[in-house]
Amino acid sequence: MIITHQGDFQVSRPRQEVYDFLTDPERFAPLLPHFKSLEVTDPNNFVVKIKVGVSHIRGTATVRLSNQERRPPEHASYTGTGSMAGGSVSLGASFDLAEVEGGTRVNWQGQAQVFGKIASVARGLLEPLTRKNIQALIDSLQGALDSGAAGGPA
Amino acid sequence: MTPPGGDKKWVGKPLRRKEDDRLVRGRGKFVDDYEMAGMRYLHFVRSPFGHARIRGIDASAAENLPGVEAVLTGAELAETVQPFMQIGPDPGAKLLDYPMAVGKVRYQGEPVAAVIAASRMVAEDAAELVEVDYEPLPAVIDAETALLDETLLHEEAGTNAIYGDRFEWGEVDRAFEEAATVVSIGRLHFHRFSSTPLENNGVVCRWEPDGKIYFVCNNSFPTFGIQFLAPALGVALEQIHVQTHDIGGSFGIKITNYPQMAVCALASRRVGGRPVKWVETRTEHLQGSGHGNERTYLDTRVALDADGVITAISSRHLDDCGAYLRYEPLGCVIWSQVVCATYRLRNLRIDFQQLVTNKCPTAPNRGYSRLQHLWFMERVLDICGHRLGIPADEMRLRNYVRPDEMPYTTPNGCVYDSGDYPAMLARAKELIGWDTWRAKQREAREAGRWVGIGIGTTLDSGTNNFGQSRILNRFLPFSGNSEAANIKIDIDGQIVVSLGSVPQGQGHETTTAQVVAEELGIHPDRVRVRTGFNTEWNTYTGHSGTYASQFAVTGLSAVHGAVGKLKKELARLAAFRLGCGEDQLSFEEGEEGPCLKGPGDASVNYWGLANLVNVNNAELPQELRELTLNCRYIYVPPFEVPDVEKKYGNLTLTYAAQLHVAVVEVDRRTCQARILDYAVVDDCGTVINPVVVEGQVHGAAAHGIGAALYETCAYDPEGNLMTSTFSDYCPITAINMPSLRCANMQTPSPFSFNGAKGMGEGGGAPLHALSAALQDALLSEGVIVGDSHNPPDAIFQTLRGMRPSPRVEVERRGA
Repeated sequence: MIITHQGDFQVSRPRQEVYDFLTDPERFAPLLPHFKSLEVTDPNNFVVKIKVGVSHIRGTATVRLSNQERRPPEHASYTGTGSMAGGSVSLGASFDLAEVEGGTRVNWQGQAQVFGKIASVARGLLEPLTRKNIQALIDSLQGALDSGAAGGPA
Repeated sequence: MTPPGGDKKWVGKPLRRKEDDRLVRGRGKFVDDYEMAGMRYLHFVRSPFGHARIRGIDASAAENLPGVEAVLTGAELAETVQPFMQIGPDPGAKLLDYPMAVGKVRYQGEPVAAVIAASRMVAEDAAELVEVDYEPLPAVIDAETALLDETLLHEEAGTNAIYGDRFEWGEVDRAFEEAATVVSIGRLHFHRFSSTPLENNGVVCRWEPDGKIYFVCNNSFPTFGIQFLAPALGVALEQIHVQTHDIGGSFGIKITNYPQMAVCALASRRVGGRPVKWVETRTEHLQGSGHGNERTYLDTRVALDADGVITAISSRHLDDCGAYLRYEPLGCVIWSQVVCATYRLRNLRIDFQQLVTNKCPTAPNRGYSRLQHLWFMERVLDICGHRLGIPADEMRLRNYVRPDEMPYTTPNGCVYDSGDYPAMLARAKELIGWDTWRAKQREAREAGRWVGIGIGTTLDSGTNNFGQSRILNRFLPFSGNSEAANIKIDIDGQIVVSLGSVPQGQGHETTTAQVVAEELGIHPDRVRVRTGFNTEWNTYTGHSGTYASQFAVTGLSAVHGAVGKLKKELARLAAFRLGCGEDQLSFEEGEEGPCLKGPGDASVNYWGLANLVNVNNAELPQELRELTLNCRYIYVPPFEVPDVEKKYGNLTLTYAAQLHVAVVEVDRRTCQARILDYAVVDDCGTVINPVVVEGQVHGAAAHGIGAALYETCAYDPEGNLMTSTFSDYCPITAINMPSLRCANMQTPSPFSFNGAKGMGEGGGAPLHALSAALQDALLSEGVIVGDSHNPPDAIFQTLRGMRPSPRVEVERRGA
């Protein structure tokens, strides 16, 4: 099954700072919901472990992410694959940044292709769960960028 | 017609099943009940993907878990085993089918590795630690897409279309030229569903030090399975010992669990010959055991004469057999056992192709390949009837093979042995109260309700002629059919029967005891029938097994033959012992058990005769010392090899028939189809045991109703099976099973010694009847039912135009 979400949000940081934040796994990855650990294998590849679970199917997912395309400071995208007991997922996420008055507007798009038992058994739950987690991630991003965690004065 | 039982004492009587005493008390013995010293447990690591390349497997974490003894991967197995034999010709013959995935996975749930551990739980935990690196590939989940060959499942075959041929009989073009009406029908589709036996697949295997491989399993056609297993494992057939005991249902789909048997054997060898047990979970069963064939019917044209009699059909059929061929392409010819259904149709042209897709491999599921064709024929008949304004019952009466035409030779040389379809229809209409329901329907329609009445006439062809496989592949060394039975009088006088069949709930112990008791003049309780199949202890032939609705003919004919031989031996011995002529003897139940009575009060019981043969044989004259009281008989049906060029020959021996009438109402708000009334008329020739027959009729009806309204193996575009639990698959239960009005008719088969016809598969009549009833209910909304699966969401989508009805065009020609 394919789950696609998109949206936008605005932060009060300059575009370059937002871009730097979104392309830095050390700062970006810990904001993922249920984050456990990060291992940066090289500048373009990193492995994130997150706790995942739907009903009785619970465990740790290992997600391998790669920077797919970078056009500083306006566009960044990631692709990746994840696996856990009961399923696998292919991921894609992209961010387009536009300067607006008072900060930066981030247009984002995410797609997850889910395979395995988790898709078969928990199909009905995945869509709202994904929406909830994406919203949590966006809230965290927004919070981090607006609070100064992005690395500069708000 | 012969009344049930007739003048027989035991045959035809509703004896309670001998098997039920142990089964209802929980004393049955199934695969998972077997425990052996030193047993290890196997759990499969299965693919989450429908289609993906395997880039690597890291089993180190699993191997380091305490209790884990070994992890086997597909690639590792491929170094020691041969791919399974393929039945069909090229390109299907080029497929490389191993017991586990090698290089690629081709359906969700395909085994990629097997963990062997000291306990089942450890094996399951360790399986989660096996890391498989996959490269996802596009999934092909329907036959029409597969036909494009844009994504290949088996690159070595070069195409997804693994079999294709034209099946043509009669003068099709001429019939269309002379037709009064030609009806063209767009895409029809028979959906994918399976069976849900109470017991899932299971194997216990021990590869013994002397090279013998000992299986306790629930494979329902072991003589077929071992012919795949032996060459794959590189052993001789005689090294493989297979035993079954109680089996909690198969419905044909356990025929193809031989790949898992192979993995268990190799696992046992890997762990030093310790016994290894594997028992499937329900989700594993739904994902990876065996599904029924899915079929799509395209470009259908129907020629009819001025009276609405169908004179020709041409069509293109695409059969989706899933990822591997396991029992295929046999389904590509088996449908032609019932090529004209119950109708007098003489001209047919079917272009038949079979395609592989990224779904669970198919297995010969109940009604295998014939019910798909019969559903198509019934849909064609009803669609034509509706468009020509001919009522469904009248349409059938105009087209049925008439009883005075029996035995009826079909256009492809099959011989319908007996049957009276018009009488079955009349009986079913009487049972359900046809005229009353038609009046109620009119009232309901006036009130805006969607009520429909549908008829499904179907055939259950039984006792295969394996020669039909040569129509697919002329080089196959298979033909005919056979079954074996052995009956002996033990040293203590007990009567012991062993069978080549593999019962899974069909009551073979009971019906065998009835036949033996009838012929020996004793009580059935005197007859002990060994449970299950056993290559070492029981008798069997290369065709032995339980499949294709045949036991009442093949199995009981073998029993009948063996009893006949035994009776001759008993008579010779008794004549010697009693000093009388054989013609003076009678077989009876005596005061000291089963005996032969001679003149006056003289008699000798079975113990006395067994004593003479086994432990007191110095008394026997020389000419009687050849007697063993251990008699084997092999029944061979009167088949010939079909003409493979013309695809012509008798493909099955008997044709049981079922006629169902369903009354349904579709709720206008929920689109839920509710069965208001349901009638079943069954004709399986002479009935051996009405209780067993009724059980099979109810089971087949439940199976078909479930398939028509609830059950489906649905995949999403990525190849995820969306119905991998009972919550999603929705097997029918007592809650949604309607009460059935049942009647039995008996037109004895002239081709079996007892007049019986094989039965039990049922021919999918509920699918035909419910599709017809739904169409009748929704015709006012412009709906033509074009799919065999009609749950509420599908009906909703059809009514909203989201699932299009098949296009139907009628061309009327001048008189």
